[in-house]
Amino acid sequence: MKNVIVYAENRRGQSRKVTFELASEAGKIAAALGGAAHAVVLGPASARLADQLTNYPFESILLNEDPEVESFLLDPIVDYLAAAAERLGPSLILIPNTLSGRDVAGRLMVRLRAGMVADVVEVQVDGDAVVCTSPKLGGALVTRCALRPADYGVVTVRPNAFAVATSGGTARIEPLERLAKSYAAKIESDVEEGSSELALEEAPAVIAGGRGLGGPEPFDTLLKPLANALGGAVGASRAAADAGWVPYNLQIGQTGKTVTPALYIAVGISGAIQHKVGMRASGTIVAINKDAAAPIGEFSDLLVVGDAFRIVPELTKLIETAKGQHS
Amino acid sequence: MKVVVTVKLVPNPNAEKRIDPENKRLVRAGVETVLNPYDEYALEAALQLKERVGGDTTVTIFSMAPDSLKEGLRRALAMGADDAVVLSDPGLEGSDVWATAAAMAAALRTLPFDLLIVGGLTDDSSTGATPGALAEHLGLPCITNARKIEISDGAIEVERETDTGYQTVRGPLPALLTTALTFAEPRYASLKGIMGAKKKNIATKTLQDLSLDVPVGAAGSKTELRSFAPPPARGKGKTVEAADGPAGARAIFDFLAEKRLV
Ligand SMILES: Cc1cc2nc3c(=O)[nH]c(=O)nc-3n(C[C@H](O)[C@H](O)[C@H](O)COP(=O)(O)OP(=O)(O)OC[C@H]3O[C@@H](n4cnc5c(N)ncnc54)[C@H](O)[C@@H]3O)c2cc1C
Ligand SMILES: Nc1ncnc2c1ncn2[C@@H]1O[C@H](COP(=O)(O)O)[C@@H](O)[C@H]1O
Repeated sequence: MKNVIVYAENRRGQSRKVTFELASEAGKIAAALGGAAHAVVLGPASARLADQLTNYPFESILLNEDPEVESFLLDPIVDYLAAAAERLGPSLILIPNTLSGRDVAGRLMVRLRAGMVADVVEVQVDGDAVVCTSPKLGGALVTRCALRPADYGVVTVRPNAFAVATSGGTARIEPLERLAKSYAAKIESDVEEGSSELALEEAPAVIAGGRGLGGPEPFDTLLKPLANALGGAVGASRAAADAGWVPYNLQIGQTGKTVTPALYIAVGISGAIQHKVGMRASGTIVAINKDAAAPIGEFSDLLVVGDAFRIVPELTKLIETAKGQHS
Repeated sequence: MKVVVTVKLVPNPNAEKRIDPENKRLVRAGVETVLNPYDEYALEAALQLKERVGGDTTVTIFSMAPDSLKEGLRRALAMGADDAVVLSDPGLEGSDVWATAAAMAAALRTLPFDLLIVGGLTDDSSTGATPGALAEHLGLPCITNARKIEISDGAIEVERETDTGYQTVRGPLPALLTTALTFAEPRYASLKGIMGAKKKNIATKTLQDLSLDVPVGAAGSKTELRSFAPPPARGKGKTVEAADGPAGARAIFDFLAEKRLV
């Protein structure tokens, strides 16, 4: 492994913050490996993402706006990434740990006969090995795992692990050769629903509600205003998702999302182990719960014992007032 | 139709997890195991297909696990799977995701199937890379995060959830699927199911039964665990009894202000 390749996951040029986190870190890792950083940008209308990435320390940005990337599942993306990896030579490939990032990584691992480490929060170069830090077993252990020396390595990176910093962009945008191929499984329709919401995994603050909220309305009337005041997103426990109060894509925990915001506020959530594993790595944890003995108190920085319906609106007001004074 | 579901036995999430400091592997002996939650959803999807398609449809469980754990698969058989195949060999110990996928793929090549349903993520290793890796090894279409499945005339139509909505996908069989958690709640085993499972067959395969072209186990792995530690301790913080709403809000606000979070 000498170079670093960033897979710039995007949808019509729209990308998640994690792409820019990878772009910010890639140059440092490449320097430690004695190589250069490159990005691969694929799909229709993705040229504007390639342009944005020229603000980061890449040597080249390989671009193909092949519209077919949207017609098939991840097959064309895997083919393009493998072609880019071949062209750029031995490299470490950084992929966001997202729903589709995980699929891409597994397939690329086999295609390139590469080692792979998942859900990485730190990458260090140690001699001829690349050492990755990642939480395992629902965060119960933090492991350091080395990719043994090999031509290729694949790493999926947890969102919010690296800071975004633009610097020293001198990259050329170069075309990646078109691979005109057809694949067996075809996407027949593609429907967008509520994509304007801030992605839960990337939000700097998460306000999560549980069974204690008693129904769907408080998610809109209580939590949403607080999340807006804090510039964050609304999440939920499984009990709330199972009850149909919120869609499953807001569920946090073992069978939901893993989030690591700077601030996590759990409202009416008891703090079951299956919930804890999805949020325990958050910066600061605040819980609002009626029950002083709720397990969430065991791993919160602050537990306020009281009625969420009375506390949350007041808290939102205090934050809004404070913001008003500063602006 | 033949459906194979991959099921991993993982430590109970409530049990304490330890890594053996000598060989740096998760201590599985003496720790209660459960079916990996995502795999229960995969199995539920398979069982519903069996009920819908009917005929001679069978559901086979496949697991790679130490011999000592294989009885744990009776729980999957009790839910309604027909039989199970376990790949078990001391030579597999210490396999990382690369070696695991290579060994699983080689074993799956020996089983006939039209549909392979894989869980989305494991509780213990959580790479989420296994479905893609198996699809690549076996040359199958890889349709992940399915919430609705229709089968007709050797083709499969799937509604799959994406980060921002959903897609419908059509492909040929055989294919590999993973299921979304919205598919349907996994069923509980009935008493009859539990009794019946005792008589169902769990076949064992070893590495000798496979034609593998790469080394597996610790030696065949491409990664190596260097060290591990518990995360920085997160002690019990402050508890404040709020006399009323404004007092509770003030306590939180002051705390956040002190931490420069507001
Ligand atoms: C295999 C498996 C996977 C699972 N995966 C997940 C997962 O991914 N995510 C997840 O969250 N759970 C998961 N669970 C479920 C988990 O075990 C808990 O059942 C769930 O987290 C409980 O949700 P809750 O805290 O909202 O509800 P409860 O445990 O019922 O807690 C409600 C809390 O609200 C408090 N409360 C009530 N009224 C008020 C009020 N007015 N003001 C303030 N507080 C109030 C109560 O004191 C209580 O502590 C999983 C379970 C299993 C078995
Ligand atoms: N040892 C195993 N035996 C059976 N299935 C497995 C095994 N390891 C992984 N899988 C399957 O692959 C899925 C994803 O696993 P992972 O890539 O480890 O997160 C799981 O949900 C299982 O269905």
